[in-house]
Amino acid sequence: MTEAVLELRNLTKRIGTRKIVDNLTFDIPAGEVFGFLGPNGAGKTTTIRMIVGLISMTKGEARIKGVSVKEQFELAMTHVGAIVENPEMYKFLTGYQNLVHFARRHSGVTKQRIDEVVNMLGLQNRIHEKVKRYSLGMRQRLGVAQAILHRPSLLILDEPTNGLDPAGIRELRDYLRKLTREEGISVIVSSHLLSEMELMCDRVAIIQAGKLVDIRSMQDAREQSQSKIVLEAGDPVAAQHLLAQLFDAAQLAVDGTRIEIAADKSAIPNIARVLVAADIEVLGIHAVQKTLEEQFLEITGGEMVV
Amino acid sequence: MSSLSQLIRNENMKIYRRPRTWLMILFLIGTVALMSGLMKWDESKHDAGDWRAAVTERNAELSHVVQNNAELGEQSRSDLQNQIKLNEYYLSQNIDPDRLSVWSYVNSSASLIILVTLLTVVVAADMIAGEFTWGTIKLLLVGPASRTKLMLAKYVSTMAFALLLLVLCFAAALVAGGVLAGFDGLSLPDISIDASGMIHEGNMLFHALEKYGYSVVMLVMYVTMAFMISAAFRSSSMAIAFSLLCMLVGNTLSALLSGYDWVKYLIFPNIDLTQYMDGATPLRPEMTLGFSVSMLIAYYIAFQLIAWFLFTKRDVAG
Ligand SMILES: Nc1ncnc2c1ncn2[C@@H]1O[C@H](COP(=O)(O)OP(=O)(O)O)[C@@H](O)[C@H]1O
Ligand SMILES: [Mg+2]
Repeated sequence: MTEAVLELRNLTKRIGTRKIVDNLTFDIPAGEVFGFLGPNGAGKTTTIRMIVGLISMTKGEARIKGVSVKEQFELAMTHVGAIVENPEMYKFLTGYQNLVHFARRHSGVTKQRIDEVVNMLGLQNRIHEKVKRYSLGMRQRLGVAQAILHRPSLLILDEPTNGLDPAGIRELRDYLRKLTREEGISVIVSSHLLSEMELMCDRVAIIQAGKLVDIRSMQDAREQSQSKIVLEAGDPVAAQHLLAQLFDAAQLAVDGTRIEIAADKSAIPNIARVLVAADIEVLGIHAVQKTLEEQFLEITGGEMVV
Repeated sequence: MSSLSQLIRNENMKIYRRPRTWLMILFLIGTVALMSGLMKWDESKHDAGDWRAAVTERNAELSHVVQNNAELGEQSRSDLQNQIKLNEYYLSQNIDPDRLSVWSYVNSSASLIILVTLLTVVVAADMIAGEFTWGTIKLLLVGPASRTKLMLAKYVSTMAFALLLLVLCFAAALVAGGVLAGFDGLSLPDISIDASGMIHEGNMLFHALEKYGYSVVMLVMYVTMAFMISAAFRSSSMAIAFSLLCMLVGNTLSALLSGYDWVKYLIFPNIDLTQYMDGATPLRPEMTLGFSVSMLIAYYIAFQLIAWFLFTKRDVAG
C-alpha cells in the first residue's frame, strides 16, 4: 500500500443507544477506486456523512491527506469532492450556473477548468439548460463534475449507481477509471451491490452492522478464487475411497452422487485416469470457479444483500 | 478555503436567478405606483380652488374655537394655537399645505416598508430551509466553507435584498411623486413646529430618511427572526408560513394581552419605535424608548445565536 489518502480511526456514530457505525479503523490507499460494500442499513452513508462533516462523530476521527476533518474542516474539505446519496442541484439554475456556484467556493477554479470538466463528463451539449430538464444520469454526471472541479485528491460517491440503467453504470465505470488515470484522483464508492463493485473497484471494505468485516483486494480475490472440481460417479462410495488416496479428507465433500473436490482443474486428468482404471463410471466431471459472490457470502455469513 | 465575498455572490445568484424574486420586485414597484396614483386621484377630488382663502378661513374657525371654549384643556389649546401659527407661516411663505409635493409621496411610501418587510421575510425564511427542501444542503455544506461562514453569507445577502427593496421603494416613490407633483418640489423644506411654538425648517430628505429609519428597525428584527426560523425548519414552506404567522399575529396578540405587565418582554410591543414619537403612547405606560431598544438588542442577539446554533451544530441527515 502507498500513502493513505483517508485514514479512519475508531470512527463511531451512536444515535440513541444504537451504534450505527462502530469503531471503524482503516486506511484507504491513494490512487485506487475503493469500495464500501455492505447491505442496506450497514452504515455506509453514515460513515461518509461523518467523513465530509455533515454529521458529527461520536468518537474517533477521519483524516483526509493527513488533515483532521474535525479540527481543520475547511482545509480538509479542499482535498475532497463528494456526492452523498442523490446529487441534488439547484433546479432553477442551468448546469453551468450550478458549476459556477460550486467553483466559487474554491480558490483557483478557472473557466477553462469548468469547460474541461464539462467536456470530460460529456455534458457540453446541454450544459446551458436548466437542471430541471436533466435526466438522472446527467444529474449524476453534473454531480461528479461539481465534485472534481477543484482537482480533489479524494472523490467520494455514495451509491452512485442507484437509479442508473446498465448503460449509465457502464458510463460511470468508464469515467471513474478515466478520473483515476487522468487526474490521479482516489475514489471511494459505496454500494450494496457486489456485482457493481467487482467491476469498479481495486479494493473493497466490507461493512456490516456498522462494523468492518474485511478488506479485500479485488485482484487477489479473483486470483485466489479457489476452483473446485465437481464429479458425478456411478459408485460414489468407491470413488470417494479412491480419491481419499489422492486428496486430503478436508478437500472432499460428498453430496449424494456428487463429489466436490477442492482442487484446481489441472487435477482432472489424474482423477479421470484413476477412476477409469478402477472401472468406476464417470458420469460427469468439470471444474467450477467459486465466484467472488460466494466468497463474500462466506465472509459475511450469508447475509449479503446482492 | 472559500472567501466570504464569493459565498455572498453565490447566495445572490440563488436569489436573483429565481423568477419569484423579480415578481416580488415588480409587485413592490407596482404597489408604490398604485399608492401614488390613488393619492393624486384623492387630491384632485378635493381641489378647492383658492387655497389662500381656504387656509385663512380655517384659521378663523380655529381662533373662534380657542376663544369661545373655556373648558378647553391646556394641551389642546396650545395645539390649536400652534396649528394657527403654522397656517400663518404657510400663508407668509406662499406654501399650499394641502397640495401634495414629491416629498408627500416619498413620505407615504414609508408605510409600504411593511410590504418590503413581508417580502424580505419570505426570502429570509427560504434562505436555509430552502436548501433542505431542494436537497442541495448536502452539496452546499460539503465544501471548504465553514457553516458559520455560509450562514453569514446568507444573512448578508438577505439584508442586501432588503436594502435593495428599500432603495427601490424610495426611488419609485420619488419618481412617481416627481412625475405627479413635479420635481421642483424637491427643494421644499420640512416645516414643523415645536412645543414652545417655534417654527423650524428642516431638510425633507432627512425627514424622509428618518421615517424610513424607524421602520427599518422593524424590518431588521422580523427578517432576523425569519432567518432563525429558517434555520430551525427543514421545509421552506413551513418556515415561510411560520415566519409570516409570527409577524402577522404578533401585534394582535400583544394588543390583546396588553393588560398583563409581562407583555412588554415580548418582541412585538417593542418592535415599532414610532410609538415613542409625536406624542403617541406605548403599549404599556411603563415602557420607554431605552427599554424597547434594550429589548430589541437582546432579541437580536438571541435570534442570531439560536440561528447559528441550529445551523452549525445539528447533524444533516436524511
Ligand atoms: N439520523 C438517524 N437516526 C436514526 N437512525 C439512523 C439515522 N441515520 C441512519 N440511521 C440508521 O442507521 C443505519 C445505517 O444507515 P445508513 O448509513 O444510511 O446505511 P447504508 O448507507 O449502509 O444503507 C440504518 O439502519 C438507519 O436506519
Ligand atoms: Mg446509503
